[in-house]
Amino acid sequence: MADLPNDFWSAWIAIITVISFVALAWIVFSIYFSGKDSKTATEESVEPVWDNDLREGNNAPPLWWFWLIFSAMIFSVIYLILYPGMGAFKGVLNWSQDSRLDDSYEVYNDQFGDKRIEISASSLSKLQNNTGLMTTAERIFTRNCAACHGEDGRGQASLFPNLMDVDWQWGSSAQQIEQSIRLGRNAMMPSWQAALGDEGVDQVASYVMTIGSEEADSHPGKAQYNQFCVACHGADGAGNPLLGAPNLNDDSWIYGGSVEDIKRALVDGRNGVMPAFNDRLDDAQIKLLVAFLVR
Amino acid sequence: MNGMSLHKKLEENSALLIFGILFVSSIGGLVQVLPSLYQESLRTASVNTRPYDAVELTGRDIYIREGCSVCHSQQIRPIIAEVERYGPYSRAGEFVYDRPFMWGSKRTGPDLHRIGGKYSDDWHYIHLIDPRSVVPASIMPGYPWLAKRDVKTTDIQRKMRALKTLGHPYEEADIENSPSALEGLKEIDALIRYLQMMGTSFVEAEEEVQS
Repeated sequence: MADLPNDFWSAWIAIITVISFVALAWIVFSIYFSGKDSKTATEESVEPVWDNDLREGNNAPPLWWFWLIFSAMIFSVIYLILYPGMGAFKGVLNWSQDSRLDDSYEVYNDQFGDKRIEISASSLSKLQNNTGLMTTAERIFTRNCAACHGEDGRGQASLFPNLMDVDWQWGSSAQQIEQSIRLGRNAMMPSWQAALGDEGVDQVASYVMTIGSEEADSHPGKAQYNQFCVACHGADGAGNPLLGAPNLNDDSWIYGGSVEDIKRALVDGRNGVMPAFNDRLDDAQIKLLVAFLVR
Repeated sequence: MNGMSLHKKLEENSALLIFGILFVSSIGGLVQVLPSLYQESLRTASVNTRPYDAVELTGRDIYIREGCSVCHSQQIRPIIAEVERYGPYSRAGEFVYDRPFMWGSKRTGPDLHRIGGKYSDDWHYIHLIDPRSVVPASIMPGYPWLAKRDVKTTDIQRKMRALKTLGHPYEEADIENSPSALEGLKEIDALIRYLQMMGTSFVEAEEEVQS
């Protein structure tokens, strides 16, 4: 309650708290320690009496109960002095949830700061040879990447790329992988349905299946491929990692390798998104992941 | 007077007893709740926090309808373990346009307050329909009907008008256009839009401060 609108509400909280405390203390003390002979004769006459001398209020609860309440009261006084509670008063310890978080980060950074510097300064091959760090990297992968790329990193759902093969849509160098992790990637294959027409889609898809074989040169889909697809995927279908255009000339397919799958890509377009992890991982974690993935 | 005679008075006068009970039980509220109604940080939107647009609002209502908050919280506590796992802890000012807020109280699944931008739309789509197709160990149920049902466009204007009277700064044009913004969307699309914007305003604001 550090930002109470004005002193009125701060005082409001403090005064009600103090009054309640005093009232509570008065009730407890007077029940245990007030004189028992203060009753007038008329009161005694109307009050029911059991077992000769037992009447309301003349037999206090056991004393350990009093001590329990008493120590709770002492505790609350100490608590309200040390910690924020009395309106805008911040407490002697100056505790806040922000300072608690900052303190734990200080301990955390003391503990791992050197390790992080060491990781940042190490070469990738040195990191790769350190089994302990690679286990850590695998754990980071499982926690952050596996939801899409699969627990084994082999991709899944015919949507998320396999990271364990030699084929890299956005480039296989350490820098390129680091960029993919940090900034994310947005693939942008538009729909070619309008440009190609239904027949064109069939032909280009069938051409794409033959790229690299002998029939490719004479294939009727080649002309349209060279008109529309070549800019990103290249004349030989090798793709372009700078644009995230996948290689069409191999057996590895992100979205499935049947003619139907390729037709669907041509009709709907493909816009795979890799989210950016710059804010979610620190530099050492990203470096470990890069070392883990480059292997 | 001592405690016992006060006790006797209260016991013999039921009106006084009723009043006394009401008075004592209101003290907690007077100290804890009343001042917080006037507390600025609870009423002021955090930087970049904006009201939900028509699609996000619809997605949020689907989130409420499907009971997502039964298993997912939307509050990251200021504890290092949570900040490291989920991101910056939740600020009160981020929830000023949440009526009602979806903080939740139980995490059978992970917290979702900073889920926005963590996964791609495609991932959310597959995951909502069949969670185990992408996360084999997940115990979340699938919500396949979300991909089949069209969003309701008939009540969005009334919803936005009601929120406007509560202080959400909607432009009249936004309200007018809201049914067309929802046109052709399936429920799953609206829900994904809501998930993708969740908690992002704060992170954006932080980046602006840094640059």
